[in-house]
Amino acid sequence: MNKSIFLEFIKRYDFSFFGTVLAIFFIGIINLYSATHSTINPVTDDLYQTQMVWFCISMGVGVAISFLQPKTIFQSAYFFYILNVMLLILTLVIGKNVMGATRWIALGPFSIQPSEFMKISTVLAVGRWFYKFNPEKELGLYDLIFPFLFVLIPAGLVIVQPDLGTGLLMILIFFVMAFYRKLMWKSIAIIAVASLVCGGFAYKYGLKDYQRKRIINFLDPGADAKGSGYNAIQSKIAIGSGQIVGKGFKKSSQASLNYLPENHTDFIFSVYNEEHGFLGAVFLIILYLILIFRFIWLASSVNKFYDSLVSIGIMSIFFWHVFINMSMVTGLLPIVGIPLPLMSYGGSNLLTFGICCGVATSISNARNLFQ
Amino acid sequence: MFGEDDLVKAHKQRADVIGNIILTCFSLLLARLWFLQIYKGEEFYKYSLENRLRKEVLEASRGLMFSRDNEILVYNVPRFDVIVTPQYLKNKIETIEKLSDILDMPVASIEAILKKNRSQASYRPVTIKKNISRQEVAIIETENAKIPGISVTTVISREYTDGSTGAHLLGYISEISQQQLPQLKKRDNFDYRLGDTIGQSGLEEKLDLELRGEDGYEFMEVDARGRKRRVINSELFTGIEMKSAQAGNNVRLTIDRDVQMAAVKGLEGKVGAAVAISTETGEILAMVSTPAFHPSLFSLGLTRDFWNSLVTDPDKPLLDRAIQSHYSPGSTFKTITLIAALESGVIDENFEVNCNGKFPMGSRPFHCWKKHGHGRVGVHKSIVESCDVFFYKIATKLDIDVLAKYSKLLGFGSKSEIFLPREISGLIPSKEWKKKRFGSEWHMGETLSCVIGQSYVNVTPLQLAMSYAAIANGGHLFRPYVYKEVFSNDGQIKKKTNPELIRETGISQKTLDIVRKALNGAVNEPHGTAFAQKGHGIHMAGKTGTSQVVSFSADKIFNRCEDKEYQFRHHGLFAGFAPYENPKIAVAVIVEHGCHGSSAAGPVAREMITSYMKKYQPELYQAILLKEDGGKGSLMKTIIEGEDQGGGNE
Repeated sequence: MNKSIFLEFIKRYDFSFFGTVLAIFFIGIINLYSATHSTINPVTDDLYQTQMVWFCISMGVGVAISFLQPKTIFQSAYFFYILNVMLLILTLVIGKNVMGATRWIALGPFSIQPSEFMKISTVLAVGRWFYKFNPEKELGLYDLIFPFLFVLIPAGLVIVQPDLGTGLLMILIFFVMAFYRKLMWKSIAIIAVASLVCGGFAYKYGLKDYQRKRIINFLDPGADAKGSGYNAIQSKIAIGSGQIVGKGFKKSSQASLNYLPENHTDFIFSVYNEEHGFLGAVFLIILYLILIFRFIWLASSVNKFYDSLVSIGIMSIFFWHVFINMSMVTGLLPIVGIPLPLMSYGGSNLLTFGICCGVATSISNARNLFQ
Repeated sequence: MFGEDDLVKAHKQRADVIGNIILTCFSLLLARLWFLQIYKGEEFYKYSLENRLRKEVLEASRGLMFSRDNEILVYNVPRFDVIVTPQYLKNKIETIEKLSDILDMPVASIEAILKKNRSQASYRPVTIKKNISRQEVAIIETENAKIPGISVTTVISREYTDGSTGAHLLGYISEISQQQLPQLKKRDNFDYRLGDTIGQSGLEEKLDLELRGEDGYEFMEVDARGRKRRVINSELFTGIEMKSAQAGNNVRLTIDRDVQMAAVKGLEGKVGAAVAISTETGEILAMVSTPAFHPSLFSLGLTRDFWNSLVTDPDKPLLDRAIQSHYSPGSTFKTITLIAALESGVIDENFEVNCNGKFPMGSRPFHCWKKHGHGRVGVHKSIVESCDVFFYKIATKLDIDVLAKYSKLLGFGSKSEIFLPREISGLIPSKEWKKKRFGSEWHMGETLSCVIGQSYVNVTPLQLAMSYAAIANGGHLFRPYVYKEVFSNDGQIKKKTNPELIRETGISQKTLDIVRKALNGAVNEPHGTAFAQKGHGIHMAGKTGTSQVVSFSADKIFNRCEDKEYQFRHHGLFAGFAPYENPKIAVAVIVEHGCHGSSAAGPVAREMITSYMKKYQPELYQAILLKEDGGKGSLMKTIIEGEDQGGGNE
């Protein structure tokens, strides 16, 4: 390659996404090492290595995607959507059952979780539909019916796995995109009121106590099946005991005594807070906010509306993960099993965020590189 | 074309709204973190130091089981286990040595148990030894201060009033093993933990969800050495409450303890099974399989040796022979053949055969069990004296598929769907079955074996009892059931089993009358094969059966069964009902390698029926006694003899 073109390319390549992701992952891997090594449980010893391997794979895939033209991504959106839905169906048929849920497909030494990739696939497909559908018009309730099917089908397939958290997350992502695509305020009000009233009534009066518990148990058996509230309490103790500056690296007593369940996946933020305190948490949240606002800014600065929609979609994937995870471990939301991006252990999850950043970088580069 | 730039710009406002919402969300989150880490931080810090909060499980007491007349059959007793909580161990080596002294258990094996549980959280107790003696409990409790981390827990264990009696039916509970865990989690959609106990066989298994109740929990504050201080009551923990345990529901069975006992007594030292069923409802009155096992030993903590001894025992004590094992019914099946022949019209009630002890068929003659034959044999005599040649003759007229049709009508060849695990269906052969199984055509010679209940015909003792109950009650085949109701501790009925008809067999009353009369003759006429088992006050009708275990060459057929090696001896069977005029109870008994139906299985059935009659039909019992006596004065004698009446008839 010609040297000057290469330099020009480097100059124009948008490193901001991968840069921020790398920074968060760096904190994440140190924290994961701490969470898995302060315990007496030898089973988790090597998890951080697996996580690093997955991160390298994810970055490789992400960088590769960043060289694609956004147009190519646009054109293949439906293809990947359908492929991914079929993978979800396949999961239900041949999937691996772990702790009562069928979420994984075994792939040699690894197992993948198609529901993770479904998030980005849905964003790309829904974005394409919104883009093609009379983009100047504001959306009413009826206009939402068809695109909502795009998300309802995979969400339904995920909820029966059962994985309620991921299913609801997809629906939330969809509504952020619909909002951005100018869903009429009147429609927003109707949806908000209707879902609040229906949900509230169903939960409060439609079900008996034991049914409610059974449903929770059914939808997510991995969550707190024996005695609700215990995990949340232990997590609160861990976070609270970190105070302002935290107890320090590998000093998490909650994690080390295994009081904290799932301390390398859903509850990783509790370990981080116990060891690094309020200041550490603020620092980490700022990093996430930089990433999230980078996506929002990207959405307003591109010149293709499809790219703009996808940026908002990707932003909402990150946002909902971070916000729901942090809220549930601090006791603001019930525990639904949503991982914290780049911090929680999990290969498919990392790969999904890698792909997201690849797509965003590709969109960003397109403004400068391919004109 | 509308510029896409403008389109993006037109949505800028929405992007700003989204940004603001996100900032609000994270502000909320930071406020929450500030509350937890700064405002309440110190308090949480103290808690984390000792981790004083501990969740204690409150074990629910398991439901009890009662017999049909409210005698308690299964109940709970406490058992003491030694546990070690690794988190609180102070001087590990010394403590383990001390414990090994107290329990008389090698240090190495204690360490092995701890090592096995190394991967679980250190605040989770590890059970070192189950069911320790009260003396050991006392020592551990008094030494408590010197051996931190070691304590005694009380576990609910299961006790069975009559020991191994009815063990297969009642079932046992034991801890969930590593291999079972994932399957059970999936089956019940319940987050079981290793070491949870669960019903593993019989009714304990089938009614597990009803019996086990719901564990509760409470939160305790513990000190640094793991000792409980008080139930937590801090404002920090509002929202988590204790939940009291909910006792399991109780079960009232259809089983009668006396009939059950009579069966166990009769089968003592033998390998076999006995089933008694109510002809009017399908209720199982007794269901016994021998040899049995002691179910309480499972719940006291199973040792590997005990388990191995059960699994490797050639008599298979874990097998419920009443429903999980099938046998050739032998001559007890002739009743079904006769019904099929009469109903399908291949013979009428005047059909007669001349039996000279042999029946020519193909290359080899088929023998009657009576070497020199029965002479002229009609329908009645064919059952009373169990003439084989009569049935061979029927076999030449009766299509095997017709026999299969009537057998299946009477419940053979399919599961009864009784509420017990792992029932098998037995086998009723047909032409289609043989084609499928062996790929070859049916031969008439095979029909000859099938009509007398040999060859491919296989039935479970339960099926045999069911079919005789249907013959007795006029052709109504009832679904057998083992529990009447499930009820809570405050007496509320939670579940109830009602009599359920599997089908009306549609067999004509004329045929049934002929057959019943013949069965009556087999027991009550002097030439009847079961005359020796007539008994007193029961007016039983029934049929004996002998089922060949292996076929012998012609010269050996008439050798005495008792002279053969045990495993080559015939199985003895008896199936019948009582009282003849107004049947209430049907019984089937099999004694493996018991040689003769009459002498091996007959007395068991007779005693089961006698105990039933005495208890549930005392007036009828007296009336029959009186009639049998015919005013000759021996009645008093019989009543005085009491328990062992009828015993002299063998």
